[in-house]
Amino acid sequence: MRQRGFPLFPLVRHTLLLAWAAVTLFPIYWMVMTSFKQAAEWVTWPPRWFPHEPTLVNYVKVLTPGTSTFELGRQTLKILKPIGDSLIVSGIGSLIAVLLGSALAYSWARFGTGGRSYPYNILSIRMVPPIVIAVPFVVYFVTLRLLDTYTGLILVYLATSLPYVIWMMLAFVEEVPVELERAARVMGASRWKVLRSVVLPLTASGLVVTFLFVFILNWSELLLAMTLTNTEVSTIPIQLNKFQSANEGRDYGPQAAIGTIATLPVVVLGFLIQKHLLRGFSFGLLRK
Amino acid sequence: MAGIRLERLGKVFGATRAVDGIDLTIPDGEFVVLVGPSGCGKTTTLNMIAGLEVPTSGDIWIGDDRVTDWEPGDRSLGMVFQSLALFPHMTVFDNIAFPLRVKRVAPAEIERRVRAVGDTVHVGHLLAKRPATLSGGEAQRVALARTLVVEPSVFLMDEPLSSLDAKLRVEMRTEIKRLHGTLRSTFVYVTHDQAEAMTMADRIVVMHQGRIQQVGRPLEVYGNPANRFVAGFFGVPAMNFVEGELHAESGGARFVAQALGLSLPGQRLGSGPAVLGVRPEHVRLVSAGESWPAAVSLIEPLGDATLVFLDYGGPSSLVAKVDAEEKLAVGDRRSFTFRRDRIVLFDAATGGRLST
Repeated sequence: MRQRGFPLFPLVRHTLLLAWAAVTLFPIYWMVMTSFKQAAEWVTWPPRWFPHEPTLVNYVKVLTPGTSTFELGRQTLKILKPIGDSLIVSGIGSLIAVLLGSALAYSWARFGTGGRSYPYNILSIRMVPPIVIAVPFVVYFVTLRLLDTYTGLILVYLATSLPYVIWMMLAFVEEVPVELERAARVMGASRWKVLRSVVLPLTASGLVVTFLFVFILNWSELLLAMTLTNTEVSTIPIQLNKFQSANEGRDYGPQAAIGTIATLPVVVLGFLIQKHLLRGFSFGLLRK
Repeated sequence: MAGIRLERLGKVFGATRAVDGIDLTIPDGEFVVLVGPSGCGKTTTLNMIAGLEVPTSGDIWIGDDRVTDWEPGDRSLGMVFQSLALFPHMTVFDNIAFPLRVKRVAPAEIERRVRAVGDTVHVGHLLAKRPATLSGGEAQRVALARTLVVEPSVFLMDEPLSSLDAKLRVEMRTEIKRLHGTLRSTFVYVTHDQAEAMTMADRIVVMHQGRIQQVGRPLEVYGNPANRFVAGFFGVPAMNFVEGELHAESGGARFVAQALGLSLPGQRLGSGPAVLGVRPEHVRLVSAGESWPAAVSLIEPLGDATLVFLDYGGPSSLVAKVDAEEKLAVGDRRSFTFRRDRIVLFDAATGGRLST
């Protein structure tokens, strides 16, 4: 019926989608290209779409060991320390969040711990804009001497990740039929054995997906990190942010290299978990 | 080997009395079927026997042990679930071996026993497969094998056949009954299907609204129901109910309903509103004796018998189950009567049984 006519609608739709994709992907494309360019090509006119003499010099520059502290208003372009800090803070924060959150999700799904509206209450943490909690956090952190420490930032990321972990893990735990656990218990398995032999293997992929998801969020978090740290701890988003007004504001090549390095794990992990994310979220929506 | 005793067993969920203080003794080796409509408390009762639900009140005894607060795994039970509950991440072998591994049986012994039980229920060729690749009947057998492998003294089954198609269900019904014949263990089987209850049980326990309505052998429950609920629950098509009035007479009683009246000599029943119950196979088409006229409004041939719907002037039709050879057509005017010895009478208000 409709197939006989000219497929106008799909054509228009695809054209628009492609155009939009080009708009959103262009800055990323430009960043990646710039990161492989020699200094001379950064700002040439007319612009060069590809580096004529591809080079890794920008990467070498930013990845050479050194410090990344301020030197009288100058910042260096070293990022090994920020990468390390980001890994420590996002990694540990996300890991603890997944451990605690999945236990919470399980106990809520199975025993109704905390009452019927518990997950919704937890979710309300995420309803508050981060800027609202950032300033009170500073006050507390000064008192507790947590400002500019790994522990402080890990605690903050733990708190902000928990709602996501609980909600994602709820969807995965609810997929495990209660009867499987009951069958195992009748066969003599202890509660721990049931968790280890039945629940854990069936939710393992969910745990991995959830971890990667909150890891990406924490990896790219800027506002709280910037408010609660100074010189001792510096994550990658903070480091990127420093370029805007610094003297090296025109060091486009190394900046692009840092940007590319910071984006890479997010993109790779995002592609890896994309399928699972859709599955996890849609189940959560359908059930509620 | 062990019998089961329930004493004043009760379970309350919030404001709902799921099980309302039931007493039941199941002797060692008996096949008992708990039957009733959904929400009658039969599954909750089974789960309490299994230890998966904690009773609100009362006690559970298995053998000589008061197991009310024992862990499920300590009660030496085997349980088959409605969903079968096969572990999807394990092979059939690992599924059957699971209870043995929990009990830390030696690997060689596990291997031997899994293969032995696999052969008994004909799943020996499936041991390497995953549950997702099994057919309904195969999965059913694997679930049975996993229960059998530890040789429990009590088997609990929660509607294990409900996921199967009709033909397979009848086959598995026979097979489970045969299994009980070989093992002579105590079986407690929960179902809402009256046909399963009738065919499999040594004794049937009919439950409704958290209470036991009647306990008895299948034919006892069918032929001699304790109340209107039990009478209506068993039998396809269901028992005919006629609402009317009982009047005491000299030397007996008389039941009077719209377009229908019959005397019940020798019965002392008192007077008042009552309900007469008669099964379709006890409604007879006759040409003489005490009978009532009716018009045939619908005919349903079953093959071995025929169902006839009779409009006799009452509020609803009566269903009669007659010989398939009987020549009938819609619109025929026929007379009918009841087999007097099979009539049952119930109190209209309470539903309790009146006659004997």
